Amino acid sequence: MTDYRIPIAETVRGTIDFLSDNFAPLTKAVSSVMETLIEFLVEGLLQVHPLIIIVVVALIAWRVASRGVALFTFFGLLLIWNQNLWEPTVETLALVVFATAIAVLIGLPLGILSAIYKGVYRVVFPILDFMQTMPAFVYLIPAIPFFGLGPVSAIFSTVIFAMPPAIRLTCLGIKQVPESLTEAADAFGATKSQKLLKVQLPLAGPTIMAGVNQTIMLSLSMVVIAAMIGAGGLGSEVWKAIQRFQPGQGFAAGLGVVILAIILDRITQQVGAKNY
Amino acid sequence: MKKLLFAFIAACLILPSLAGQALADDKKIEFAYVEWDSSVATINVMKAILEDELGYKMKLTSVAAAAMWQATASGDVDGFACAWLPATHADYYKAFGKKVVDLGASLNGAKIGWVVPTYVTIDSIEQVNANADKFDGKVIGIDPGAGLMRASEEAMKEYDLKDMKLLEGSDATMTAALGDAVKNNKWIIVTGWTPHWMFATWDLKYLKDPKSVFGGEESVHTIVREGFEKDHPEAAAFLKNFHWTAKEEAQVMVANRKQGSDLLENARAWLKEHPERVQEWLKGVKK
Repeated sequence: MTDYRIPIAETVRGTIDFLSDNFAPLTKAVSSVMETLIEFLVEGLLQVHPLIIIVVVALIAWRVASRGVALFTFFGLLLIWNQNLWEPTVETLALVVFATAIAVLIGLPLGILSAIYKGVYRVVFPILDFMQTMPAFVYLIPAIPFFGLGPVSAIFSTVIFAMPPAIRLTCLGIKQVPESLTEAADAFGATKSQKLLKVQLPLAGPTIMAGVNQTIMLSLSMVVIAAMIGAGGLGSEVWKAIQRFQPGQGFAAGLGVVILAIILDRITQQVGAKNY
Repeated sequence: MKKLLFAFIAACLILPSLAGQALADDKKIEFAYVEWDSSVATINVMKAILEDELGYKMKLTSVAAAAMWQATASGDVDGFACAWLPATHADYYKAFGKKVVDLGASLNGAKIGWVVPTYVTIDSIEQVNANADKFDGKVIGIDPGAGLMRASEEAMKEYDLKDMKLLEGSDATMTAALGDAVKNNKWIIVTGWTPHWMFATWDLKYLKDPKSVFGGEESVHTIVREGFEKDHPEAAAFLKNFHWTAKEEAQVMVANRKQGSDLLENARAWLKEHPERVQEWLKGVKK
C-alpha cells in the first residue's frame, strides 16, 4: 500500500513556493497597508486615557445590553488595566476587530450566494468543514513569506478559522425565512434584489448576527496560537508566561482574554436581538 | 467603487515604499527570538549594546522557532541570535540555510542530552532501562518537533529502552517536573541542554551517551537575512564579534528568573560589571 505514496506534501510545498515566488510582493504590499491601519487603530486607542475608554465602553454596554453587562464591563476592564495588561488588550481588540470585519465582508456575500444558488452551496460548504478542522499551525508558518511576521499573518489564519460560522449562519438565516413571506414578495412583483434586501436579509438578521458573534468568539480563541508568529497582544502575554513557566502571569493574561470575550459576546448578542 | 479600489491599490504601492525609506534612514532593526531563557538572555545583552553604544533602535518579536527561521529567510525580520547548530536546528538549516547569512557563533560548548539530578546513582543512558521503575518509566521531554526530541527518540531506539516512554511537553513543563522531583528527592530524567538556568539552580549531570546519539558540542549562532550586512554594517560587525561563555550567560539567565524583573535592565547591569567584554565586542566597530 505504501509503495507508491501520493505526493501530497511535495505538491503543497511546490505550490507554496510557486505562490510565494510570484505573489509575495503583492500580498506583502497589502500586508503592510493593513499593518499600518492596525497600528493606527492601536496607537489611536492608546492615546486616549484608559479610564475614558472604559467608561465609554461601559456606557455602550449599558445602552445596548443591560446594567449588569455594563457593570461587568466597567470592573472587568478596570481589572485588566490594573493588571498592567491595557496595551496588549488593545492590541488584541484591534486584531479581533480586523479579523471579524474581513470575515464578515467575505462571509456575508458568500452566505447569501450559497443560500440562493445550490451550486455555490455545494462548493462552499465542504470547504468550510476543511477550514474549521485543519489545524491552524499548518498554515501559520507558510503564511510568513506572504504576510510577514506579526499581526497580518495572524489575521489571515484567524479569518480562515473564524469565518465559517458567519457563512453558515447567513445561509441558514436566509433559508429559514418562511416561504409564505417570500411568496408574498414575489406576488407583489418584487425583484430578486428587493426581495433579498427588504425581506430575506432583515428577517435573517438575528441569525446573521449570531454568526458574527461566533466569528468574534472564534477569533479570540486564536489569539494564543497567533502569538507564535509574533501577533502580540494578550495571546503573546499568555504564551510568554507559559514558556517561561510563570503560570500565575499566564492566568492573569488569560483572564484578560476571557473578560474581553464576555464583553464582546454580550454586546454583539444584544445588537442582534434588539435591532430586528 | 472603482475609484475606491484604485485608491486602495495605489495606497498599497506607495505606503510600503515610504515605510521602506523610513527604515533605511533610521537605524532600526528587528530581530525575532524564542522565549528560551538562553535566547532571551543573549538577545537582550545584544540589544543593550546595539541601542546604548551604537545608537540603533531594536525591536524584538517573540515567536516560535520555525517562524523565526522562516521570517529571516523571507527577509521579514533582520535576524535572530539563537540558531542551534549543527544538530538541533539541522532541519531548519536544511530548509532555509541558503537564504540566510550566518554571522558565526555567539556561544560554543553548548550541548544537548539527557539530564538527571546528581543524587541519581547511574551515569550512562545504557543503565536507564534496568532502572526504568525508579524513573517511573518516563523521560520528560520538551516541545514535539524540537531537535532535542528527535535525538531523544533516536536514543530510545539506539539504547533499546523498551520500558521507558518519552513524554512531550515544553521547556516549562520539563523544568517544573524537574524542580518537583528534586524537591522530593525522586529520580527523574529530563531532556536538557546547556546553557540553561537549571544547571545554576540544581545539582545536575548529563547521562553519558556512549553511542553519541546526541552528537558532540553545539554552537549557538547568529543568523541574519541577506543584505543585512550591507544595510547595517556596524550592527553586523558587532554581532560577528559577540561571543561569550555558557557561564557568563547563566549569570544573566539567573537574574532573569526573578519574577517581574526587566530583562533589558538585567542585561545592562551585567554589561556594567563586565566593561572589558563590551570593549572587546566593539573592537573595530566603527562608531
